[in-house]
Amino acid sequence: MSISTPGGPQRRPTVVSTGKKPAAGRPAAGAKAASDKPATPQRSGGGGKGPRKPIAPVKVSQGRSWGPIALFVAVGVLATSIIGYGAWAAIKGSQSWQDKAADIQGIVNFRQTDPESISNQEHRAGKQEYKQSPPVGGPHNNTWQRCLGDVYDAPIANEHALHSLEHGAVWLTYRPDLPAADVEKLASVIRGNDFMLMSPYEGLDSAVSIQAWGYQLKVDSADDPRIKEFATVLAQNASMEPGVPCSSGNYTTGTGTEPRELQPSMGG
Amino acid sequence: MPSAVQEAAIEEQTGPAEPRPTSRTLRYLTLAVTALLLLGVGWTAATLTTGRTPGETSAEAGFARDMSRHHAQAVEMAMVAYAKGQDPAIRQLGYDIALTQQAQIGHMQRWLQEWNLLPTGSRPAMEWMPDGVGVDASGLMPGMATREEITQLHEAQGAEVDQLVIRLMIKHHLGGIHMVDGVLKVSDRPEVVRMAEAMKAAQQKEINELRKLQQAGG
Repeated sequence: MSISTPGGPQRRPTVVSTGKKPAAGRPAAGAKAASDKPATPQRSGGGGKGPRKPIAPVKVSQGRSWGPIALFVAVGVLATSIIGYGAWAAIKGSQSWQDKAADIQGIVNFRQTDPESISNQEHRAGKQEYKQSPPVGGPHNNTWQRCLGDVYDAPIANEHALHSLEHGAVWLTYRPDLPAADVEKLASVIRGNDFMLMSPYEGLDSAVSIQAWGYQLKVDSADDPRIKEFATVLAQNASMEPGVPCSSGNYTTGTGTEPRELQPSMGG
Repeated sequence: MPSAVQEAAIEEQTGPAEPRPTSRTLRYLTLAVTALLLLGVGWTAATLTTGRTPGETSAEAGFARDMSRHHAQAVEMAMVAYAKGQDPAIRQLGYDIALTQQAQIGHMQRWLQEWNLLPTGSRPAMEWMPDGVGVDASGLMPGMATREEITQLHEAQGAEVDQLVIRLMIKHHLGGIHMVDGVLKVSDRPEVVRMAEAMKAAQQKEINELRKLQQAGG
């Protein structure tokens, strides 16, 4: 290793280890001088101190300087993680809601698997038959169910709720025999959030089913974090008519699952 | 001092020849990698800071989400006013408020899309405005009517509709202006500031109008 290479200070131990006690600043000066005089190696002979020749500090100088290496590794790891985070944030931030929805485990996307069953968006009066239960698409009543974070404590009509889904609402349904504490957990996801509504549902084949237009997720526990994920990702995004409201519409549960039309001025 | 020179000279002679190029390459490599990493950090910093839009927990995002919800209730009340108000002035005001605020909801939702944020936030309502009036026990934001009051309005008939609209809408607008003041205090996003100032001006004007109608109607 040539002394004239950069990083001279790291080499200082070599010189210091000669056993001599030069002033702190001296070795560097000496080293510089040495690099200027590579052509006069005879001077070492001139010293006449033969036994000093095999002194080993050279070996010491070849040892790795762990300090700088550790520093480089640390800086490298830090820089890589910053870059990694930046890239991750950029990709994650630009992920579409559809991609986010697809990432929810167990979600069924009827827009892909069975687009025909949900393609009809007609307004029809009275009771309707649906392929899915609870329904996620198809003809529905003129009146929607209000979905300003409404938590209904009794069943509501499919024909109204489906119209809310068309407007972009997420509808959380649960088996009526669910413990009150579980119902409250579910309500905390919905309450106060626009484009969400919730109601008990007779004959549900899972403890909880959450749906948006064309999307459904059935889970067995009210504690399942996917419930909130589904609600957050799909509310409003899944709208078939972007910009339409959830306000007004039918806001009562009085008629159970039997649909009823409101005065024209109140909804539609 | 001469001895140091000697040492160096000795080293020149006796130091093995091979480690020299390897450690030099290593050093250059380290320099190159460091430079590359610095470049990467620079790029990351640049992408994260320039043209940076409000984030998930920003006041702007909180305002856009909460005000959308606040507006949604005003739209519902205004539509009742438009449909059932006795005084033509109430019906006209209902029409104005409903259409204006529904359009403003659209603006605010568009911001969220442009900022790559979901319409539904991950933080509780009003958290973006720490020194403001928070949500009440039932989760209602400042000025919002209770579910019972809204139901009462839906079921009201005749002159009662006008009285309820006036009372509930003045309270609603005051709460809205409080939230607008909150975002104006902290935001310098041009689209947010412009809309917030317009909201404040319009709602202040409507409060004055409603108060006049209140006095006229007794």
